[in-house]
Amino acid sequence: MNINATLLAQAVVMIVFVAICWKYVYPPILSMMKEREKRISDGLEAAKKADDSLEEAKLAFDKELNQAKAEAAEILEKANARASQIVTDASSKAEAEAEKILTSAATTIENETNKAKEELRQQMSDIIIDTTQKILGDEISKEKHEDILKKAAEEL
Amino acid sequence: MASELTTQSYITHHLTNLTCGKTPSGWTCDPYKVEQMGFWAFHVDSLFWSIALGSLFVFVFRRAISKNQDASTAPSGLQNFVEMSIEFVEDNVQSLFGSVKNTLIAPLALTVFVWILLMNLMDLIPVDFLPVLAGHIAYLIAGDGVEWIKGPESLYFKVVPTTDPNITLGMAFGIFLLTIYYSITVKGFKAFIAELTLHPFGKYLIPVNFVLEMVNFIAKPVSLGLRLFGNLYAGEMIFILIALMLFFSSIPIGLMGFGLHLVWALFHILIVALQAFIFMALTIAYLAMAHETEEH
Repeated sequence: MNINATLLAQAVVMIVFVAICWKYVYPPILSMMKEREKRISDGLEAAKKADDSLEEAKLAFDKELNQAKAEAAEILEKANARASQIVTDASSKAEAEAEKILTSAATTIENETNKAKEELRQQMSDIIIDTTQKILGDEISKEKHEDILKKAAEEL
Repeated sequence: MASELTTQSYITHHLTNLTCGKTPSGWTCDPYKVEQMGFWAFHVDSLFWSIALGSLFVFVFRRAISKNQDASTAPSGLQNFVEMSIEFVEDNVQSLFGSVKNTLIAPLALTVFVWILLMNLMDLIPVDFLPVLAGHIAYLIAGDGVEWIKGPESLYFKVVPTTDPNITLGMAFGIFLLTIYYSITVKGFKAFIAELTLHPFGKYLIPVNFVLEMVNFIAKPVSLGLRLFGNLYAGEMIFILIALMLFFSSIPIGLMGFGLHLVWALFHILIVALQAFIFMALTIAYLAMAHETEEH
């Protein structure tokens, strides 16, 4: 346990190791650590930026979506309005048509009725005259009692 | 080496370094000729482990970065450990050194911390394992050729370098030289001398000042080295004494020795790390003092 030249040898060895560490070991590790530190902080920054832009994109997306929804609702409303419009138009048109048909039918019926009445009157008067002629002979002729016949026909 | 194993021979064997040096009859590592070697003897075992562990430190830390050169990939495993150590050291240097820029301090502190930690950790290897292994290897290789190796136990082999005061004081000495160097280069030679001579009693009592300041100045490295040595030496000593319980006592005491060994090893992990940290922190503090330019 005596002090001897080991002390000096150890001092020299220590200086050598410290020098090696100082020149070849410490600086590369430290610079690498610094570089990575920078990279990591850059990466975090970039991630934060990306996050922000994602948020922005989300907001824009939402806005667009809402707009589209509103548009769709508007279109739907218009379509509904138009459809009901078409339905009302159609029904009113149909009504008018029906009325028209009814009126024309009524006119036709009246005409037919008048025509039939006229025919009946004619036939009646013919029959009456025929019968009367047979009864009275030639006293009565169509030509002689033209006016009376016409009057009677009108009265029928 | 005595063939009979006694308590005393066991302890002595564990506390003696493998010493090589020059004797009048040439270079030798014969433990019985240590007295003849004088100052120029080397504790080969301490230096071997010191250099081996220092190389391990450099190798591991170099490997951590060469394996993963660019900063784009995520660090893993070994590299995390290396970066953790460096951050730890950087924090300590930052807190003690403040704004002073000196690129040597952090690598120095890192080397000192990791190196001493590794050397201290050798204490946790069971006390007999490596010495007996080394003794057998030495006997196997050189048993015939070298006259002083008479058996596996004739080779002394201390495993923990920091239980050798030469190692701890050697490191403290290196740091002492650095403090002197930085004191002179940062403050200037005149200011350095003034600091040693003009405190605390002013210029009329320069000799007294000088003696007081010199004591203060020398005490720093000496206490730095002896603190580490003392703590680890005591720890090693307790390991040896506990190991003695296993070999020289009855079975119950032997079993108790196992338990104690475990308890002390667990506690010693704390001392190992703490002493390495203290040595590093004081190294940084002393160098920070060397950089302080203002009067105090």
